[in-house]
Parts: sequence; C-alpha cells; structure tokens
Amino acid sequence: MTSPYETLGVSRDATQKDIQSAYRKLAKKLHPDLNPGDKGAEDRFKAVSAAYSLLGDEDKRGKYDRGEIDETGAETPPRHYYRDYAQSGDAGARYESAHGFSDFAEADDIFSSFFSRRAGGQQQRQRGRDTHFSMEIAFLDAANGTKTQITLPGGGPALDLTIPPGTRDGQTLRLRGKGEPGRDGAPAGDALIDIRVRPHPLFATDGDDVRYEVPISLSEAVLGGKIRVPTIDGAVNVSIAPHTNTGKTLRLKGKGLHKPGGGHGDAYVSLKIVLPQAPDPALSAFVEGWAAGKTEDPRKGMGG
Amino acid sequence: MNDREFCEHLDIEVKVLRIWVEQRWLMPQEADAGWLFEDADLARARLIQDLTGPMGVNDNGVDVAMQLLDQVHSLRGRLAVLMNAIRSQEPAVQKLILSSAEED
Repeated sequence: MTSPYETLGVSRDATQKDIQSAYRKLAKKLHPDLNPGDKGAEDRFKAVSAAYSLLGDEDKRGKYDRGEIDETGAETPPRHYYRDYAQSGDAGARYESAHGFSDFAEADDIFSSFFSRRAGGQQQRQRGRDTHFSMEIAFLDAANGTKTQITLPGGGPALDLTIPPGTRDGQTLRLRGKGEPGRDGAPAGDALIDIRVRPHPLFATDGDDVRYEVPISLSEAVLGGKIRVPTIDGAVNVSIAPHTNTGKTLRLKGKGLHKPGGGHGDAYVSLKIVLPQAPDPALSAFVEGWAAGKTEDPRKGMGG
Repeated sequence: MNDREFCEHLDIEVKVLRIWVEQRWLMPQEADAGWLFEDADLARARLIQDLTGPMGVNDNGVDVAMQLLDQVHSLRGRLAVLMNAIRSQEPAVQKLILSSAEED
C-alpha cells in the first residue's frame, strides 16, 4: 500500500502547510466533480483525500508516524458526487445552463433547434434571462447601508432596493425575479445591479478598514485632550495624549466597514497639526522668545 | 428533505444555506412549506463544501466554478444526445460525419 506521504507527494518531514498546499493542488486537479468525464478521477481523489484526512490532522499524523494507526485509518464512506446526478439527468433542469451552447442555437440551420431546446427533451421551463445594470451610490450609503427606490432602464414600476451595510465597489446586488419574464409561465430572471461606490472626500478604504486624516490644533497637540473625530457612522470622542505629533495614527476599533462574514474593520485616523487660520501675535511673540524652538533641527540627518 | 434536514446532513447553519441559495449555487424546489431538497442538491452542496473548505476556493471562485460546471454538464448532455443520434445512423453516414469532423 502506498504511504499517504507518497500519495500526496510530500516528504515525511513536510510541514502541515506543505501538506495542505499539496492536497489543494491535487484536489483541484482530481475532484470528480471537476472532472465529470474522467472515471479514474474518483479513485485518485479518494486516495488523496484519505491521505489528507490522515496527514492534514496533526494528531492523526502523529499516530500514523508512530505506527499507532495505518493508512486505512482514514477510510471515507462511499459518496455520491454531483456529477453522478448531473450525468443521469437526476439533477433536473434547475441547474442546466444553456449558456455553453446558446451561440449554436443561433445558427441558421436545421440543428439550431436542437441546441435551443433544452437538454433532456422533457417539458422544461426555462427561467427568464437575468438583466444587468449598473448604479452609482454615495460612499456613506454603501458603508452604512440604505434603502432606496430605483426604476430599471426600460421602464416598469419603481423597485425597493436594499443596499446592505458594507457594500463594496464592484459588488453585485440581485433583485430576484426582476429580470426578463420566463417563457410558458417559467419564473422570471433576476436583475443584477453592479454597484459603483463614489469615492468619499475624507474616507478612503483599505480592505475592511477606513483611513483618513483629521486636523488637530496646536494646543490640542501640545496639551492633549478630548477631540471629536468623524467616523463613517457618526462622530466619536477620542482622547489624545499630550505632545501628540503630526502623523500619529489612532486606531478606532470596529469603526471600519462591515465585513461580509460579520464584524467590522477598523478606522485608522492620522492626525495632522494645523496652525491657527490667522497669524496670532501672542503665539508669534511666545515662539520668538522660545529658545529651544530655535535650536532643534527636525531635519537633522536628512542631508544638506 | 426540508431545509432543516438538509442542513443537518451537511452540518451547516441555515444562514449559510440561505447564502448558497441566494447565490443560486443551489436551487431547491419551492413548496408551500418552504424549500425542498433532493439527493442531487445534497451532492452539489458537498461539492460546494469541498471547494470552500479543504480546497480553499473563495466565494467568487465557487461562483465561477459552479457556473462553468453547469455549462459543462449541459454541454455533455447535448453532446451525448448528438452522439447517440449519430451512432444510430447507417455506418456509411457515420463515416461521412467522422471524416468531415476530422477535416476541421
């Protein structure tokens, strides 16, 4: 019997990560559902999966290495792959997709009807086509979510569109049943709306996080204190330490975008000291008499 | 089986199932009492689990894979029907079709 290490093509001292990546590579090549016509794929995939369920689990791998269990310790129960149903027609018309040959159906010959009729030949109802649109929304509407009414190009009644919080640029929203009507009483297709998010003048996104710059006054920078800082869902109070410099970045936990799987990213607020709008004689006079301010060279070591 | 039984078989939460249906990776029959799943749906869901779990494919990847897979199966179905039709012809006709195909 082949050792599970040989099956996965890794050495005995391979790391768990090596084993995982070896398995992923093989699984993507051998999964029976990704090789619908290759009968041998199932056996090879089974062997690879069994080897991985043994070696992918550090605990079991240790037992195997110590000889406490053999390679069959990871036998998997027989399984029906999706391809078995798809091939026998048992998956029904629901998952059939005519997109793979719709161009053949347009040919001007006797065979076109062969391709325009759905596989199987039984009376099957084809869902209407999906229709595609694009729409631009404001950054804060995308970040916080909103409900809006839209009218699709081509007319029809106004539709309620819910933009979920954390919607990203390039995301597609689906309005079920709002595409083209189906033939012979089949369900309608969906309207797919490609969302473009307008950039915000202040907030820039970085994955799930939001980054932006907030100005602070000279007094706030020197003395510290509480300041109000905007976030994507309203302003919050933040304390800054005395002697806070430009470039200091505050992390506001959970004040980033909604993550698709739940939770939130963070906000990173970069502080920037700004002088008073108009020159202030008292400030000038103070700095004039401030000896240390003249001896310090912030550009020391930069050359020149 | 209904959605609860289906989730139990797969050891997933109904929330996850909703997303799969929403994405149209699964298209259960809609009955008055809710969704109805067949064995084919179960096998299909196991494929989705393989893709997202051990194989490390992300949601967009699953979307692409399922769409292409459905096309492949439909193409294979049509090709099988076409092949049967050709095989039921006279040997001379079969030869003609083959030689014509091989010229391309």
